Amino acid sequence: MIKLNNISKSYNKGNIKAVDDINLEIKSGEIFGFLGPNGAGKTTTIKMIVGLLKPDEGNITLDGVDVWGDSLKAKSMISYVPDNPEIYDRLNGIEYLNFIADMYEISKEERKEKIEYYSKLFNIEDSLGDIISSFSHGMKQKLVLTSALINNPNLFILDEPMVGLDPKSSFNLKEIMRKMCDEGKTVFFSTHVMEVAEKLCDRIAIINKGKIIAYGTMDELRAHAKERESLENIFLELTEDE
Amino acid sequence: MNKLLSLIKTDLNITFGLSSIIYSFKAKKQRWQIIVFGIAMLSLIPTYIMMIKALDTLYDSFGQMGQQSYFLLMGFLGAQLVVFFFGILNVMSKYYFSNDLNHLLPLPIKPSYILTSKFITSMVSEYITSLPIILPFIFIYGIKGREGILYWIYSLLAIVTLPILPLVLASIVIMIMMKYTNIKGKRDLIRTISGIAFIIIVLYVQLQIQKMTQRSVLQGEDFYFNIARDANLLVRKLGVVFPPSMWGALSLANYDKFIGLTNILIFVFSSVAGFFLMIFLSERIFFDGLIGNIEVSSSKGKGKKHNLEKTSSVSKPYMAIAKKELKMLFKTPVYLMNSVGGVVIGPIIIVMSMATGDVSMEPLKEVINDNMDIVNLAAIAMIGVLGMLNSIGTTTFSREGNNFWIQRTLPVKTKDQIYGRVMASMVIQVIGALVLIGSILFIIKLDMMSILLIVTIGLLASIPMTEIGMIIDILRPMLTWSNPQQAMKQNMNVLIGMGVAILYGGAIFMLISFIYGRMNIWKVYIILCTVLIISAFIFFNVLKTLIEKQFRELE
Repeated sequence: MIKLNNISKSYNKGNIKAVDDINLEIKSGEIFGFLGPNGAGKTTTIKMIVGLLKPDEGNITLDGVDVWGDSLKAKSMISYVPDNPEIYDRLNGIEYLNFIADMYEISKEERKEKIEYYSKLFNIEDSLGDIISSFSHGMKQKLVLTSALINNPNLFILDEPMVGLDPKSSFNLKEIMRKMCDEGKTVFFSTHVMEVAEKLCDRIAIINKGKIIAYGTMDELRAHAKERESLENIFLELTEDE
Repeated sequence: MNKLLSLIKTDLNITFGLSSIIYSFKAKKQRWQIIVFGIAMLSLIPTYIMMIKALDTLYDSFGQMGQQSYFLLMGFLGAQLVVFFFGILNVMSKYYFSNDLNHLLPLPIKPSYILTSKFITSMVSEYITSLPIILPFIFIYGIKGREGILYWIYSLLAIVTLPILPLVLASIVIMIMMKYTNIKGKRDLIRTISGIAFIIIVLYVQLQIQKMTQRSVLQGEDFYFNIARDANLLVRKLGVVFPPSMWGALSLANYDKFIGLTNILIFVFSSVAGFFLMIFLSERIFFDGLIGNIEVSSSKGKGKKHNLEKTSSVSKPYMAIAKKELKMLFKTPVYLMNSVGGVVIGPIIIVMSMATGDVSMEPLKEVINDNMDIVNLAAIAMIGVLGMLNSIGTTTFSREGNNFWIQRTLPVKTKDQIYGRVMASMVIQVIGALVLIGSILFIIKLDMMSILLIVTIGLLASIPMTEIGMIIDILRPMLTWSNPQQAMKQNMNVLIGMGVAILYGGAIFMLISFIYGRMNIWKVYIILCTVLIISAFIFFNVLKTLIEKQFRELE
């Protein structure tokens, strides 16, 4: 589904290498966890996949569609939830959801059904008539999640999705991710919560200083580490400064 | 005191982006943008020189009457009134709608400190408005009259103090208005509308007073006798419109007499006193208007029920973009003031000042009635100008700010982006066109044909204007701002857009003046429309390429 070939990206005229020659392949029907310490290059990688940043080198394809060649087609496959839910805070919740649904050209019946379902699930259905600036961080996050799920995406990309969510919503989101994968869709997300990654992901990649330092299923990761108990220990061991 | 200095320093830095200007001067990529900006500014110089020449002639004609001092009064009045009107808009967004207030309020700072720092940054911005107006008057008067050194010293004092009183008045008016319009619900809309209505009312009253005093001065039997006897007669009579301007004019005109000294003292003292009065008031009423403002962000969104059946309407992508643009414009007071306020107030000011003019307007009206085509063309041009002045095109991407990622990750065709954003501008333009037609109808009659021509071709002219704005904005979108005011009022793109619009509009103006009179008027209209359509088409394609490129490459 997602294929990253030799992706590199640097900032500040090449002085800071944020992502250094990354190769990744994520299959359909897979939940893929992307782990790494702060500033390791997770968000940069995600932004390149969704088309917000152009890689200096390499290419990214989604189901064979080049993200930079046929960007419209690529974008119509993705739903993206950023780490910081910055959305039009002068609109009210329902106006925002309708706007996003219009952009994906979703029919009235379908959007109604989806909005009803997800807003209830995330417990924001009573707030949809309110202006977004009155929402808390978590509520904004839930609104962004709802908007991202309206178009029933084949590829769901989330940057730190659990931050700011209450336990119930966090649980519901994990359920949604699982269900999507059962339907053959792909979920790619970054997280700091080891437990979530360990329990939820089919495969995991750990990035540090722009390079992938570990990549595979939990069992495969365990096989490479000395401390084999938990993902947390593996993570700490691998990302420790040499 | 240290707190106050630190507040002022920070606010100046935020407002004028000193740190970011220094940063951008260093970046090579931005250098050509500065060059374009320079050219755009240079293109304004010929117009400015023409205005100065006209002022020079005006000085001579007052000189013949022995009433040069009235010339100074015009300068002071013009500059102070402009500062007052811009001040109203500026103060409202700066004191009540900027994001930094959320950070400042919890800090242990007195309201008067916050207000003083904001007042001072507003003062600095107002100098940019007042200096180009007052300086020509001061220089022409000083140089032509060969005035002494004391004149220049007084002038310096007067120029420095000039914006204080109008800005103090604007601050007090806004503080009182905000206190009493702090009503839950449509607070922002009520405030914006009252702000615009207030400006129009003040303008109307001011022009009426001017008209009345002009009449009373001119109609007296011993007018010529009095005028010969008292060189400050006109200033004293007409200065009542705004006494501080009168004090300023009297002090400079009589710098070598005792009355000059007293007037400059009154001028400076009243400004300082006004400032302290405002500070005194601010301790009592500033927070009253402000607190409710921030309340919105803590309502936690409980309650307002909505009906999904009703609220989930389906729109085409370009329509959805246009709707979103308009909603954001109407719900953000700063945007509403600048875009809608601009297209509403602009035509009213121009037309009103003509309508309330004295008898000398009558012959002009007759000339106008005989040349309706000129009226039509002028009105079309004005709508076109409003297309740039509404700042919608030049800020369309900048206004997205932190939300720009939404547009970039959505599968929206570039042409839909352009259609939607141009349509939003057109809706505002329709409002402007209607106000303009309404205002013109106050002075002269327009037939149905003229109205149709003005509105249709005027709106057509607004399309390339909006597109020019969008081209500039996508080239250098200002996406990092903390206060919506920055995206519109402190956005260089607006100024650059105006410069480019002058070049584009000037070229069309020259073409039309060349063919006007040489051919049937209908041919002129057809040529004008053809030029507008072709340029709209060309700009559309340029824009399409640029948006595609920038959506891909912006970081």
